[in-house]
Amino acid sequence: MKAMKRYLLSLLLFISLHSLAQQTGLRSRRSWYLPDHLKLQFAGNIGFLSGGPGYVSRNKTLETDLLFGFLPQKFGGDALVTTTLKTTYSPWRIGLKNGYYVRPFSIGAYLSYTFGPQFDTKWPSYYPAGYYWWATSIRPGAYLGGKAGRNVIINNRRRPLELYYELGTYDLLVISYVQNKSFLKLRDIVSLSLGVKLGFD
Amino acid sequence: MLRWACVGLVLTLTSCDDLFQYNPNEETLLDKDKNLTAKNIERIGLLPVSDTTRFILMGDSQRWYDECEEFVRSANQQKDISFVLHAGDISDFGLTQEFKWVNEIMTRLKYPYVTVIGNHDVVANGSATYRKMFGPLNYSFSFGHDRFIFVNTNSREYAFDGSVPDISWLKAQLAHNPGKKNTIVVGHVPPFDADFDKNLEEAYTNALADDPTVKFTLYGHQHRFYEGQFYDDGVNYHLTTSMGARGYMVISTWKGGYNVERVEF
Repeated sequence: MKAMKRYLLSLLLFISLHSLAQQTGLRSRRSWYLPDHLKLQFAGNIGFLSGGPGYVSRNKTLETDLLFGFLPQKFGGDALVTTTLKTTYSPWRIGLKNGYYVRPFSIGAYLSYTFGPQFDTKWPSYYPAGYYWWATSIRPGAYLGGKAGRNVIINNRRRPLELYYELGTYDLLVISYVQNKSFLKLRDIVSLSLGVKLGFD
Repeated sequence: MLRWACVGLVLTLTSCDDLFQYNPNEETLLDKDKNLTAKNIERIGLLPVSDTTRFILMGDSQRWYDECEEFVRSANQQKDISFVLHAGDISDFGLTQEFKWVNEIMTRLKYPYVTVIGNHDVVANGSATYRKMFGPLNYSFSFGHDRFIFVNTNSREYAFDGSVPDISWLKAQLAHNPGKKNTIVVGHVPPFDADFDKNLEEAYTNALADDPTVKFTLYGHQHRFYEGQFYDDGVNYHLTTSMGARGYMVISTWKGGYNVERVEF
């Protein structure tokens, strides 16, 4: 719990420092390599909390994020660190009153890597080739979701702030489901994640 | 303000159980899913003992949940069964979620069940989850005229480092049999399989053969029914098939004898 609080605080600190740097330095034109937004996500098989920078396409429909996730032992039975690359496509934007808007539909995919000596990317040589066909460290997954946002004023600057949800699953669960449609229901392999996105544009 | 509200929301939502998942390899278990070996041995200890003990040996439920459900329906039709032994490979990917699914199915049995760890159950965080959910990887218990010894034989998962199976533990268990009960050693990988440590094969099979109370020994792993006295030493090796192959064995034991019956469902 303590570790998580510290983790959260440092993430938030990072967000605010980042926005401060923006305010003083790069007011008009941002360098191409600076991230377009930061995300903080809860659950979704990439950590208890995960966060990190991301980029968005010019038409704002395609986001790609690099997230660093942590699962404390208290919530996971084992402390696990995960990095994730994810891409989300949200084709439609519906404007609402008072600067609110929704992107009702998102679809995306991710690739996560969990650190630990018990996880393998390439199986050790004492296994015959193809003995186990999957890597335990890398998990591909996919999700559907949506988000709602509005522009907020932070440090005298307009920042788009979005809340999103995702319903996702990953390869090993999909295979289990496809082969066991009598015992497994879709809800057995799908889990929910929630997140916040703070934009810099 | 909004940010802290979100953090608060996130913390509140963690109280839900299955809705949120944090990592495929998380080891989150409810108390009812912990220490199942000890709990089930306690249940077995309360069962009435008769001259003949009948139990079921099944195994390799890995990613065959639908078939495993059918196994339970078939097993529940059998007469005079005391308990069920799962010969390992409970899970396919070593994921806690898989162990929970199989346990959900196996708790619909009319009988208590106990397990031995399979090679797939060792993968990733699997053995840690197995320890929390079931208990020790090597253990034993007695019922009636029989003594069951469950031993981790998944040598390949430990890089054939000489530690698995634990021969000295096995020998100590075999030596500790004051009542001269029938001894039934249960493992996942049989000693003649390529996944069993070649350097320990002789020590293992000799340990069984040198004990006159060991008449037969039980395994899974090869997804086929198979039996024989492979070492010409008086010990019969019996392998049960997988759930995918829709088969299991009903074993009857009595003082000085036993019988194995194959069942397909």
